[in-house]
Amino acid sequence: MRHALVIARREIESYFVSPIAYAVMTVFTFVSGLFFSNMLVYYVRQAARADAQIEQFGRSDLQLDVPTLVLAQFFQNEAFLLMLAVPLLTMGLVTDERRKGTIELLMTSPVRSAEIAGGKFLGAFAFLALMLLPIVPMTVFMGAGGAWEAGIVASGILGLLLLGGAQIALGLFVSALCEHVLVSAIGTYGLVVTLQFIDTTGAAGDSLWVRLLGSMSFYARHLNSTLGVVAVADVVYFASWIALGFFLAQRSIDGLRYKRS
Amino acid sequence: MIRLSHLTKKYGAFTAVDDLSIDVREGEVLGLLGPNGAGKTTTMRMVTGFLPPSMGRVSVGGHDLYDHPIQAKRKIGYLPEQPPLYPDMTVRRYLAFVAALKDVPAARTSAAVGLALERARVADVADRRIATLSKGYRQRVGLAQAIVHEPPVLVLDEPTSSLDPQQRAEVRELILGLKGRHTVILSTHILPEAAEVADRVVIISRGKMLAVDTPANLAGRLRAREAVTLEIGVRPGPDALSPDSARRALAALPGVRGIDARMTAAGTIEVRVESEAGVDLRASAAALVTGRGWPLLALSAAALSLEEVFLALTRRENGGGA
Repeated sequence: MRHALVIARREIESYFVSPIAYAVMTVFTFVSGLFFSNMLVYYVRQAARADAQIEQFGRSDLQLDVPTLVLAQFFQNEAFLLMLAVPLLTMGLVTDERRKGTIELLMTSPVRSAEIAGGKFLGAFAFLALMLLPIVPMTVFMGAGGAWEAGIVASGILGLLLLGGAQIALGLFVSALCEHVLVSAIGTYGLVVTLQFIDTTGAAGDSLWVRLLGSMSFYARHLNSTLGVVAVADVVYFASWIALGFFLAQRSIDGLRYKRS
Repeated sequence: MIRLSHLTKKYGAFTAVDDLSIDVREGEVLGLLGPNGAGKTTTMRMVTGFLPPSMGRVSVGGHDLYDHPIQAKRKIGYLPEQPPLYPDMTVRRYLAFVAALKDVPAARTSAAVGLALERARVADVADRRIATLSKGYRQRVGLAQAIVHEPPVLVLDEPTSSLDPQQRAEVRELILGLKGRHTVILSTHILPEAAEVADRVVIISRGKMLAVDTPANLAGRLRAREAVTLEIGVRPGPDALSPDSARRALAALPGVRGIDARMTAAGTIEVRVESEAGVDLRASAAALVTGRGWPLLALSAAALSLEEVFLALTRRENGGGA
């Protein structure tokens, strides 16, 4: 466990000298802010229209709970952004070690492959948490003009952490398979995009398949958290992906020994 | 201290390392000598637990590497052929990271790092990023990394390859300085280097162990032949010197074992004379040539190249047959 923390710390340090990580964090924060302010402005305008209708006609067909709507929309968009950002953060996790030859150092040290995988996961996860941090002041800012929906914000961030954690675990696995960072990124995109949209098959009805795919999709499973609902099933779902990705990554790192390099 | 028994690595039909068995005694420096592709790196990787062997076992300090990998690995310091460096870290931070990986207690880390910086002579660049260092310095940082936890066993894979002669001499000196403190396995394809630093040398070729001996004994066997190459000018005329007559004249020298003469493109004659071990033909050959009034243009003692040595050795190992 101590080794995992040592490896995680080095991973975080390397993020902070990596132009890729800085670029991802900057763009992520910028686009998050853009989404948030756009959403806020749109719903505040809608609310103003509703108010005007009530004043004019005594009633309005618009039923608006602005903070809830803004946050739900915002967290859904953030999930989409994460899908774009996370593969860029995970693409080098093991691939870079292989390229630099430092994997030989890790694997000849008294360190288990699970500790290597764990350290890598923790490092990337900590960076993700840091990247999500600016969401808090954004939503606090919204509270200044109305209600500060702390519960929805908390469940929204938890949802993003779970979703991001699952994406990181899968990205870690793919990166352990790849010798080239771009291949690693592309492979991870393939996986997370597929899982994000796996329920949008176009098949209608209530067949077993439709329900199965619906319950497998990152998008559908993440939806609750954007509404302030923390469902045990969703937490278990994402935790299972994290466990699966971690297990596969650990096995793949172990398997690197059998590769001829 | 290190015991390899019947160590074998196969990649499909290709056998990279073939039934290698050797005991390395405590405090000994063992040189692994062989041409590129002989299986040196594969052997090193199996000794350090990076690669699992197809057959055979390795034990380090009494711990079997496959039954107790963690305990065995704690005893090993390893410098792979390409030093495993993180370019964006400073040297000091990097060594602290490695120390933590190798289970150096946190309280002792800074002392251990200081000592490794000192011993590998990289203290002057301790706070520079590794990316900014020269190749020689990087190699020494690699060495510092291998010794930071003061392992009883050091495994160094081609520690001086790809360095310039000056850096090579420095690194070799450093390794000599580590002698006695660690049991060392070191690989090289440079014959004099193995002779200089190793107590015993293993010669491997195509994965097979051809010989194990002290450098002195081995040198005797390897230097079974020495060669001198002469270049003789040819004065034009009816009695111009022919390669054949040059060969006949030089073949008469005492100690000659083999001789070959040919005309070069420049119109001179090149003669290559091989002698028994310990017989230096340079003086007598030069005297003979100048005594006959032939212009001696060049003379060089060509130490047999490693390739030739291996060819000679493999031929002999096969019973002298073809």
